[in-house]
Amino acid sequence: MTFKTGEEHEALRSQIRKFAESEVKPLAFTLDQENGFPEDAVKKLGEMGLLGIPFPVEYGGAGLDQLSYAVAVEELSRVDGGTGVILSAHTSLGSWPIFAYGTEGQKQKYLVPLAKGKKLGAFGLTEQNAGSDAGGTETTAVYDGKDYILNGGKIFITNADKAETYVVFAVTTPGIGTKGISTFIVEKGWKGFTFGDHYDKLGIRSSSTAELIFSDVRVPKENLLGREGEGFRIAMATLDGGRIGIASQALGIAQGAYEAALEYAREREQFGKSIAHQQGISWKLADMATKLRAARLLIYSAAELKEAHEPYGMESAMAKQYASDIALEVTNDALQIFGGTGYLKGMDVERMYRDAKITTIYEGTNEIQRIVIASHIIGKAPKEEVAAKKKAAGAVTGERKKHIIADGTAKEKVAALVDALAKDGFDFTIGIPADTPIMDAERVVSIGKGIGAKENMKIAYDLAKAAGAAIGSSRPVAETLKYLPLGRYVGMSGQKFKGNLYIAVGISGAGQHLKGIKEAGTIVAINNNPNAPIFKNADYGIVGDLFEIAPLLTKALGAEEKKPAPPMVRMKKRTPKKLPPAYKIYICSGCGYEYDKEIGDDEGGIRPGTTYEQLPEEWVCPVCGDDKAQFIEQ
Amino acid sequence: MHCVRKVTDDLYWVGANEHRLHLFENIHPIPRGVSYNSYLLLDEKTVLFDTVDWAGCRQFLENIEYVLDGRPLDYLLINHLEPDHAGSIDEILIRHPETSIISNEKAFMLMHQFGFHIDGEGRDIEVKEGDTFSFGAHNVTFVSAPMVHWPEAMVTLDLTNGVLFSADAFGTFGAIDGHLFADEVPFQEEWLDDARRYLTNIVGKYGPHIQRLLGIAASVLDKIKIVCPLHGPVWRADENLLWFIDKYDKWSKYEPEEKGVLIVYASMYGNTEAAVMALASKLSQRGHNNYKVYDVSSTHVSYLISETFKYSHIVLASVTYNLGVYPPMLDYLHDMKALNLQKRTVAVIENGSWAPKSGDLIEAFLNNEMKEMTVLSGRVTINSSVNESAERELEELADTLVESLGEE
Repeated sequence: MTFKTGEEHEALRSQIRKFAESEVKPLAFTLDQENGFPEDAVKKLGEMGLLGIPFPVEYGGAGLDQLSYAVAVEELSRVDGGTGVILSAHTSLGSWPIFAYGTEGQKQKYLVPLAKGKKLGAFGLTEQNAGSDAGGTETTAVYDGKDYILNGGKIFITNADKAETYVVFAVTTPGIGTKGISTFIVEKGWKGFTFGDHYDKLGIRSSSTAELIFSDVRVPKENLLGREGEGFRIAMATLDGGRIGIASQALGIAQGAYEAALEYAREREQFGKSIAHQQGISWKLADMATKLRAARLLIYSAAELKEAHEPYGMESAMAKQYASDIALEVTNDALQIFGGTGYLKGMDVERMYRDAKITTIYEGTNEIQRIVIASHIIGKAPKEEVAAKKKAAGAVTGERKKHIIADGTAKEKVAALVDALAKDGFDFTIGIPADTPIMDAERVVSIGKGIGAKENMKIAYDLAKAAGAAIGSSRPVAETLKYLPLGRYVGMSGQKFKGNLYIAVGISGAGQHLKGIKEAGTIVAINNNPNAPIFKNADYGIVGDLFEIAPLLTKALGAEEKKPAPPMVRMKKRTPKKLPPAYKIYICSGCGYEYDKEIGDDEGGIRPGTTYEQLPEEWVCPVCGDDKAQFIEQ
Repeated sequence: MHCVRKVTDDLYWVGANEHRLHLFENIHPIPRGVSYNSYLLLDEKTVLFDTVDWAGCRQFLENIEYVLDGRPLDYLLINHLEPDHAGSIDEILIRHPETSIISNEKAFMLMHQFGFHIDGEGRDIEVKEGDTFSFGAHNVTFVSAPMVHWPEAMVTLDLTNGVLFSADAFGTFGAIDGHLFADEVPFQEEWLDDARRYLTNIVGKYGPHIQRLLGIAASVLDKIKIVCPLHGPVWRADENLLWFIDKYDKWSKYEPEEKGVLIVYASMYGNTEAAVMALASKLSQRGHNNYKVYDVSSTHVSYLISETFKYSHIVLASVTYNLGVYPPMLDYLHDMKALNLQKRTVAVIENGSWAPKSGDLIEAFLNNEMKEMTVLSGRVTINSSVNESAERELEELADTLVESLGEE
């Protein structure tokens, strides 16, 4: 073992370097100034077969290894970090998940043109409220029996809107966190799929970055990538590999800056000799070269592990974290060596100094990289998981938005509620008769005991009409007050509402009532007691007197005659198939005891998170005493 | 009167059939009885492969003496020490002081624990995996089969004639009553259910260890000509055996044999039963007739476990009892977990008159205590008896089941 790249890798390096020097470098300054995308260069990369480096030849790829891919990103980034990330996002993020998780049909349809460079790929995971924590994903994909209907948006998406193929993550089963996320292949140009404005970025300005916006985008079910519920795992596996790409980008940027600084230091003379020979500068150059070599070895080693199908998640995180951290230091030193000259636009080091910063942020911030590395060393902290599970138990009606509209006058609150409902897609120009059976009703206005005298029921009927809803009630209103027939009260023992909109007026939310609306699409609560349980079980709430709020809401929704509503489309909740654990369980051949790394072996002093491989050789089965070697893999 | 069968020219079945025992392992009903198989080889040396349960000992002794016909018994080879096979060891040793015992370290340890009188100068011959042993013309080798389903279990392969003494592997409930080979009985039609019930209830937990053994068997499959298990008929290496191995493969990977629905219900006064019948009729109306319905209170759990291994989908319908799951249903759930059952899709129906809880508890058990159990959305909640709303939910559940059955 020599820790050196082979001839074929160096040959590839010179080929790409030649291309980058002649085709990208001359444009780099202009692209940076004008936020331009290197269309021609990307096209040529495709023609050269460089957009499918690590994929098999039968799928249109070059059939080369991970190290070749790392070298390619490094070399492009050496002259222009933006061009480097175009290749990285296309290969690691846009294409790899299709290669790794796609069906044969999906590979033929999508991977082949991506690998051949006929199309560009991108990856949509990050959202406004889901960055490092993918559990916050809010984009939804609802299966309607034929297609998945995609709604929501993604931010900071590299290669948007230039890419034709997008690997997008969305929630298919709400309320169960990351286990409810699935992956979809979405094509540019599909109805409802649009882009936000390009971001005006500090660096990597030659790469295109934009928002993805999905509004009722129909995604055929054949475009589900992997299984339902497998999304988070696909995302994490993709990012494991993507880190090698970004690490290479950081390395390339730093390498470019270092080379420029070295050359400048040799030419620039002060005090009668080149500044390179001044000790202050020579030490800087020595440190820069050392850091570059360390980063390069980390990256190449992670690439080789990946190529050999060995675990590489920790190593790629180390490579990405270290390479990007030192990229900031190296570009900073490079600019320092250039002095005032380096501070001017048009100087490569000035651009590289800005380009480097993003590499400590994207593809998992370096803080997250350290969490990844630490989790491999120490294991997950068990206590936090327990806390998270407890929290998830929460409301009877499941995960709800619990948005209590608190600002403004009563009228303003009502207006804000109507706005929010309209934004969620409710159309209040249509309606259903008030006597529609609760089970068939798409919307219900339900009234509680607080309504008082029977003549006040007019308020409820008026609101039901304005909301285009059927009328319902809590149990006492039907059973004790007898304002409505028994068949119209909602609750565990009464009717269950499974439609899309439930407006609870003056209902405090007893457990038995809440059990009847567990499957309601959206729950709105109006109640004068801010501590009423209904608010913890609602999507929207207004704290206020029903005699004030209800008439205002009636007015805001519009008292005019409603057009008949089309037949209700109930959004069925999808059940993702349970996935096997992502890690192996080991079974004792002396007794059948199962060693689960998430549990560890408290008696034997083994902390949770200790893998079977990490168990000390002298460890024995805590049940029968057989030794470690007697265990088999599940 | 002796009752023996020739397996090959020099190998005899000398076991016994059991019809008077009601509960195998004092837990599983065996209305069709069971056979305790033991085999006697007449080579230059004579070798007895395992013994029988104490209950069959008298028949067994008559069989042995008939086949030995005055020859000494040189070796007793023990593959598996569970008392339904090892129960007659002491009696053999008393009658044949000339006999040496061949077995492995763990089995000898267990023999001491069970109090068998095996001590004596050079009487115990300890072997381990990979060892070979010659009886004259016949050379055998040993393969350990840990946790199928005891830790000491091993199988012995006769390298001369390709007979595999497979211990409990490939065994079944059901007495063989004079038959010997699996092709002498309608095995696929009439024996499969008992074979499944035997394997899943006795060895079900140890799927990965069965897989390990199947892997070893696959590598020497061309050498195996006959499989001699310790219960049930003997298998010739033909397509029937491959069919049986495929069943073993599925059971030990916890993969269902069939796309179909097993409906198990717990009903106190017939209302949950009525819901289940309504659901079943809805499945049938939708053209899905591959389902079975069982009352958990009147069906022995070993039958339920067997059917659970067979079908891809399960419907669990349970009343709430003392704010918990109805005890026989809970027992069934615990048994499923104990036997490591996994990878099934489950629908839940709960009933409760004032506080239905069984649904939540069953779902939590499936999600937290078991592996890869997918709980379908659309749980049906019944308050005392099925009303219009619950009927609608049953209708939807039937649709959900049909849709799920159609997937993959």
